[in-house]
Amino acid sequence: MNYQFKWSVLWSGQSGSWLLQGVITTLEISALAWVLAAALGIVSGALRTVPFRPLRAVGTFYVEFFRNVPLLVWMFFWYFGVPPLLPRAAQDWIFNHGAEFWAGMFALGVYHGARMSEVIRAGILAIPRTQFEAAVAMGLTTFQAYRLVIVPIALRLIVPPATNESLNLLKNSSVALTISVAELTFQTRQIETYTAKAVEALTAGTLIYLILCVGIAAVMARVERRFAIPGLIARGG
Amino acid sequence: MKRLLGVVVALALALAPIAPVGAEQDTLAKIKETGVLTIGTRTGSPPFAYVNKNNEWVGFSIDLVEMLVKPEVAKAVGKAIKIEKKESTPPTRIPLLTNNSVDLIAETMTDTAQRRESVDFSLTFFYTGAQFLVKKGSPVKGVNDIAGKRIASQQGSTNAKIIREKYPQAQLREFPDQPAAFQALAQGQVDAYTNDGIQLAGLKAKAPNPGDWEVVGDFYSEEPYGMAMRKGDAKFKAAVDAGLKHGFESGKYFEIYEKWFGPKGDVPYPMTPQVKTYLLKQIGK
Amino acid sequence: MADAAIRFRDVNKWFGKHQVLADINLAVSPGEVMVVCGPSGSGKSTLIRCVNGLEAIQGGDLVVLGESIVRSGVSMSALRTRVGMVFQSFNLFPHMTVLENIMLAPVRVRGLSATEAEKTARTLLARVRIPDKAENYPANLSGGQQQRVAIARALAMQPKIMLFDEPTSALDPEMINEVLDVMTDLAKEGMTMMVVTHEMGFARRVAHRVVFMDAGRVVEEATPDAFFAAPKSERAKDFLSKILSH
Repeated sequence: MNYQFKWSVLWSGQSGSWLLQGVITTLEISALAWVLAAALGIVSGALRTVPFRPLRAVGTFYVEFFRNVPLLVWMFFWYFGVPPLLPRAAQDWIFNHGAEFWAGMFALGVYHGARMSEVIRAGILAIPRTQFEAAVAMGLTTFQAYRLVIVPIALRLIVPPATNESLNLLKNSSVALTISVAELTFQTRQIETYTAKAVEALTAGTLIYLILCVGIAAVMARVERRFAIPGLIARGG
Repeated sequence: MKRLLGVVVALALALAPIAPVGAEQDTLAKIKETGVLTIGTRTGSPPFAYVNKNNEWVGFSIDLVEMLVKPEVAKAVGKAIKIEKKESTPPTRIPLLTNNSVDLIAETMTDTAQRRESVDFSLTFFYTGAQFLVKKGSPVKGVNDIAGKRIASQQGSTNAKIIREKYPQAQLREFPDQPAAFQALAQGQVDAYTNDGIQLAGLKAKAPNPGDWEVVGDFYSEEPYGMAMRKGDAKFKAAVDAGLKHGFESGKYFEIYEKWFGPKGDVPYPMTPQVKTYLLKQIGK
Repeated sequence: MADAAIRFRDVNKWFGKHQVLADINLAVSPGEVMVVCGPSGSGKSTLIRCVNGLEAIQGGDLVVLGESIVRSGVSMSALRTRVGMVFQSFNLFPHMTVLENIMLAPVRVRGLSATEAEKTARTLLARVRIPDKAENYPANLSGGQQQRVAIARALAMQPKIMLFDEPTSALDPEMINEVLDVMTDLAKEGMTMMVVTHEMGFARRVAHRVVFMDAGRVVEEATPDAFFAAPKSERAKDFLSKILSH
């Protein structure tokens, strides 16, 4: 192999600041999308278990519609498909104000919300039905029973699969480069363009993703221990 | 967790010195053994390399390999050879080459000093420069009008680099491929799309209503296209260059050019005298 | 009998094609303790779950505290604040402490302040004889203690009626009495109670009336003395011989 390694491309020139910008953008888009995904996931996951068929249908429709279409298609949908529905002046405004970022964020959040929904539904279904009955039997409404009892228990049960899903979200944020969001993968490619040193740039990107994922997993493990339900088997961290 | 990270870093560092030490690869020997010359090329860059309506993978760059390079390489290895095509894109083409997935990149790759640190280039086989594709009547007429405008470019292209460095007032949006960038232009996400003039001419020719679009502006960059090879393989480079040189000398090259860029070609793009002079100067004429 | 706390009138219910309640006519007076017994699958749990609307009835009428619960637009949540229920499986919320479990409904439903609710909760814990477990999580309590917390939790809403669905069936034998004692206290204080149980000793001592069900029907309805001394039906005799001999 004739490849000449030159690791210094990663810290010479602008590479360092590009990587940093990439990390920041990746974290920003992932964090916002995560909040959206968690909110949509909790609401739709809960809807899919309530004793009222039309609401269950709404939840099921959301999940099946959004998780069964590739994320890339959703990126294009939010970036190319949605803006034409707005007035021309509004379009110009959003195109000048980071339309790529917001389209990417929605695509990521809505798509992962559907996947998160499944995780949360599984968590709720793991709770004995009589917990819900006990909650409503003391006068809580169905909404209160979910908000105060069922969802809080479910969230504690699903930390491990939710961590997994969160890491998927972070990694999938790289798909946003297809609609020109300058996130981490985009920036590593940029370094490659400037330096023609693809292996070094990809290695840097890989290591940064690894560090981010390991960091998030560590935070989630801490969250899990902090909120563990007494009496349930504590998972090692 | 910390230990795991340590292992990965150690692994990466350990692998680093091993790789470049390997013996220099002899591409011709490999071709002689397999009877196959594998090229990396594009699927959506008409007329250089693309999949046409009949689902055939064709183009100017591919023809140059088939008609000029292939006979010369066959002569060098002393047997008939076949061409195999793999898809390459700006971010993947150098890695594909260095990991031996392909032997030759024949698409729309600009010969730059940076890239010459990683790969070797053949003689220049096409010469163009960066321009803009805009909706007819757009206020963007050239590189001096782009301040504050949203400009699409292709990720990993030299044009994007120039815009970023020399025209930072423009809002640059980088897309991974031509169709996405054109879509963004058509829908108004961006005001102009910059790429090599010939690519823009190709895009315009292929658009549903070619009359709606204009390619504008003087070349603000020089984009000599070359075929890329693994670095330091002099024998293989000599064979590839000999093929191109023979094409220039015999006029075969200009026939192929006419087929793709002539008045009846896919993308009419008449060769200017300056370009012709530039190309022939390479072979001392 | 217009002032019955609970009145079933020709109540019918099916699970699919299977009839689980058939032509039930029953009335529970205020302050009365009614024990419902019968073999498993006889519909006794379903019967009391109808009273607070955990199960819907499909025929007849069911009036609880003067209100028909089959009327459309009736608020189940409002009804349930006046009808407490204790389950076989305790159903304490595992992520809350004992105190939080008891305070939840008074604060969230009644709108009591946390201070008030806590005061009531501590009084109730004293009443069920575990004042020192307020800060514990359910997982750290024995089954008997958990069930007594569940009773305190139901009482925190100051219900007019208490429903017990096999409250001691999931308990180890040595813990059964501590729960039955609390229930006996409650009965003595005049609480209206419907109790599904196999504890015949409790029925004999505490109940005012015993209802024996089989296959979705009320087969016998009598005072405990009459029921245990001389059951009228063959099925009741058979049931009693099995349950008392083991």
